[in-house]
Amino acid sequence: MSEQTLPQNDLAVELLVEAGAVLATSLDLATTMNQVAHLTVPRLADLCVIDLLAEDGSIREVAVASSDPELAPALEAMRREYPLDPHGEHPVARVIASGEPELLEEMTSMLLRSFAQGSEHARFMIEHRYRSAAVAPLRAHGRTLGALSLLRIGDGEPYTSGDLSLACELAGRAAMAIDNARLFSALRRVEQRLEAVLVNLAEAITLIDARGQTIFANQAAADLLGVSTPAELVSAGPGTIMSRFLVLDEHGRELDLESMPGRRLFAGEHPEPLLVRNIVRASGEERWLIVRSSPIIDPESAQILYVVNVFENITEVKRAQLAESFMAEASRVLASSMDYAETLQLLARLAVPQLADWCAVDVVDESGELERVAVHHSDPSRLELAEALDRGYRPALDEPLGVPEVIRSGKARIYTDIEPQALAEYARDDAHLALLSAIEATAVIIVPLAAPGGTIGAITLVSSESVRRLSPADLALAERLGRRAGTAVESARLYTERTKIARMLEAALLPESLPEIPGVEIAALYRAAGELNDVGGDFYDVLSYDGDSWLLAIGDVCGKGARAAGVTALARHTLRAAAMLGQTPAAMLGTLHAALRRQPSGSDLCTVCLVTLERLPANARLTVTLAGHPPPLLIDADGSQRLIGKPGTLLGVLDPIEISEVDLELREGQTLLLYTDGLPEADRAGGQLDEQTFVDPRRLALGSTLGELLTQIEQAALVRAEGRLRDDIALLALRLR
Amino acid sequence: MGVQDQLRIDVRHEADRVVLSLAGELDLATAELLEQAIDAAENGEQLVVLDLQALEFIDSTGLRGVLAALEGCRERGQEFAITPGSPQVQRLLSVTGVSGHLRTIASGDEVVA
Repeated sequence: MSEQTLPQNDLAVELLVEAGAVLATSLDLATTMNQVAHLTVPRLADLCVIDLLAEDGSIREVAVASSDPELAPALEAMRREYPLDPHGEHPVARVIASGEPELLEEMTSMLLRSFAQGSEHARFMIEHRYRSAAVAPLRAHGRTLGALSLLRIGDGEPYTSGDLSLACELAGRAAMAIDNARLFSALRRVEQRLEAVLVNLAEAITLIDARGQTIFANQAAADLLGVSTPAELVSAGPGTIMSRFLVLDEHGRELDLESMPGRRLFAGEHPEPLLVRNIVRASGEERWLIVRSSPIIDPESAQILYVVNVFENITEVKRAQLAESFMAEASRVLASSMDYAETLQLLARLAVPQLADWCAVDVVDESGELERVAVHHSDPSRLELAEALDRGYRPALDEPLGVPEVIRSGKARIYTDIEPQALAEYARDDAHLALLSAIEATAVIIVPLAAPGGTIGAITLVSSESVRRLSPADLALAERLGRRAGTAVESARLYTERTKIARMLEAALLPESLPEIPGVEIAALYRAAGELNDVGGDFYDVLSYDGDSWLLAIGDVCGKGARAAGVTALARHTLRAAAMLGQTPAAMLGTLHAALRRQPSGSDLCTVCLVTLERLPANARLTVTLAGHPPPLLIDADGSQRLIGKPGTLLGVLDPIEISEVDLELREGQTLLLYTDGLPEADRAGGQLDEQTFVDPRRLALGSTLGELLTQIEQAALVRAEGRLRDDIALLALRLR
Repeated sequence: MGVQDQLRIDVRHEADRVVLSLAGELDLATAELLEQAIDAAENGEQLVVLDLQALEFIDSTGLRGVLAALEGCRERGQEFAITPGSPQVQRLLSVTGVSGHLRTIASGDEVVA
């Protein structure tokens, strides 16, 4: 349809202008079409009908206008009675089917009958003197939506091709309006669906425009951003919502509005999703959010119209992750040393500022008093406050509140909303209150240091100057920390205790000091293996024997721990008693064997080496008696060595035992070394077991004292054992002086 | 390293005997495993053999395990023998006078002592 074919008269212009005005109003479809129909009557037509193609393929009239007020309702009734056949010959059906306009200049009765929907319809048209018709398709975007029919009745002028062009122009505009209205309502439906989705989405969503103004928000966004309704977000000015939060990145650095992904999109960047830690300034509440922003771009200008922000609340996940890494670090710190005061101080440092602004650890000491073992605050000048509090106002264990209460009940406590009134009631005097107030606590968590045997102290966490406040969500982590630290403190205490007991037992099993033997130098050394200082089964002894003689004993009881200690004590004291009775070494060993065989367990075994010594003017006369024990090593002044004695049978298991005795003359410069199996077994390499490798004369300064010599042997063994001895080592040595 | 890694015990049943081959270290940490292994493997055979050839280390606690095995066999009326092991193992057996009380059997052979 081109401009040229339009009738160049005022009526056409007038009609099109009026139609434009009607179609621009956004009334509903039926009203709009009715108005369009009425525009044409009576100026262009006596009767105007607008028919639309329905979705089911039928044709329905939506608007009828007529100059004869009775004609329109009559026609509507007729159409209801005789609907147009969409595949019939009626011009409206043909135009809708073809999409091409039709001009029926002169409609004879015969023509009218040819397309009537029955005889009554034909009679109706003939009686109403239908004369001329112009039928134009309602076409938009390549689709025919219906038809606009203009009719002249009676003696009116027949329509011309110019009239048909005007009808087409009008129909085209009406079609566009219909199409837009339909698109709009379809869009509106989509929009409603979308909005329903957004509104009900659990994820918080906001839509902001280029000025930063929020123009849409769902309830989840309102909840997350701390307002009661989405409307509050929409009415708040740009930036006013963000100012309610302290917004930090993952590393605790403060972020401004411009670094938010939405702003960066408007700035032309392509931001990645941002992980932020939001702390509500008013409440100190903390949330971890992932902020994702995507642009809505105007297809025509390619400008960003809006940005959609999606806030994913990952607070719980993030807290769990941080808690895990904190606990891993705490466990590492707690395992770093057996000095629990030191590790708890490290722990307090770890908790600040990750968990709180203050961290203090109190334990109940041996005398049942509270002892402050660690306290930390990032600012040393503030730390003095805590120290002053502890010095002047350390709580007694029977106080009703705070650390003593937690230790008594074993239950964690959290105090939020700390009122000045409550502080005043708690304080003992004005100075105490002044100190407590100066802490400026916003929340306090006290958790028990829970050890397997009970509560042994408490950890106190305080939030003060930070925006973030301790909340019940921190309680679980704090309690875990309390349990972990409690167990660590307990095992450190047990370790210390056990070490003490082990030393005491060991001392009981070994002679306190060696007796002075005239003309003989003797020395002994005991080296415990293992970190746990388990009591070993090695023993040695030196005692006066039968007047001028002396007895040196060294032995090894199989096993470790309390049971081995018991057998060791039995062995040592049995030998002593037997010596006092004047038994020969072989008889002494027989006595010990019998004593071990009488032990209920039946499998306590023991190896012993006994050396009797008689000092003579020029030398000493020795007897070496062995019961399953490694033979002593005789080291000459020149470093050459040999083993003395023949192995006998170990004691306590096998019958009969075989005891061998070997006599030896010890001369000036010679050293006799008695040892337990820990010495040869120290060799990690294992294979080479020639005794000369475990006492290497080239490494020994034979001129040094006997005590120094034993230390050198011990050090060499430690080197060969790569610092980890398999077994305890006992050494006993003698030489003439 | 768990105790299972420190001492491995392979059990072999032959006509008249059960052979337990020990590899690794027999000491305080592993001695109990030996006792459990013998209890589990022994099925009234005439002879129980501890093959010590692959044993790298034995200490007095391990020795107690070997002697407990010997004692157990005596109580059950079984014979007990060892297949000798490394110099370290043999040295301890000899120094403690235990070797004189143990029958030895070469790998795969008849009882020789």
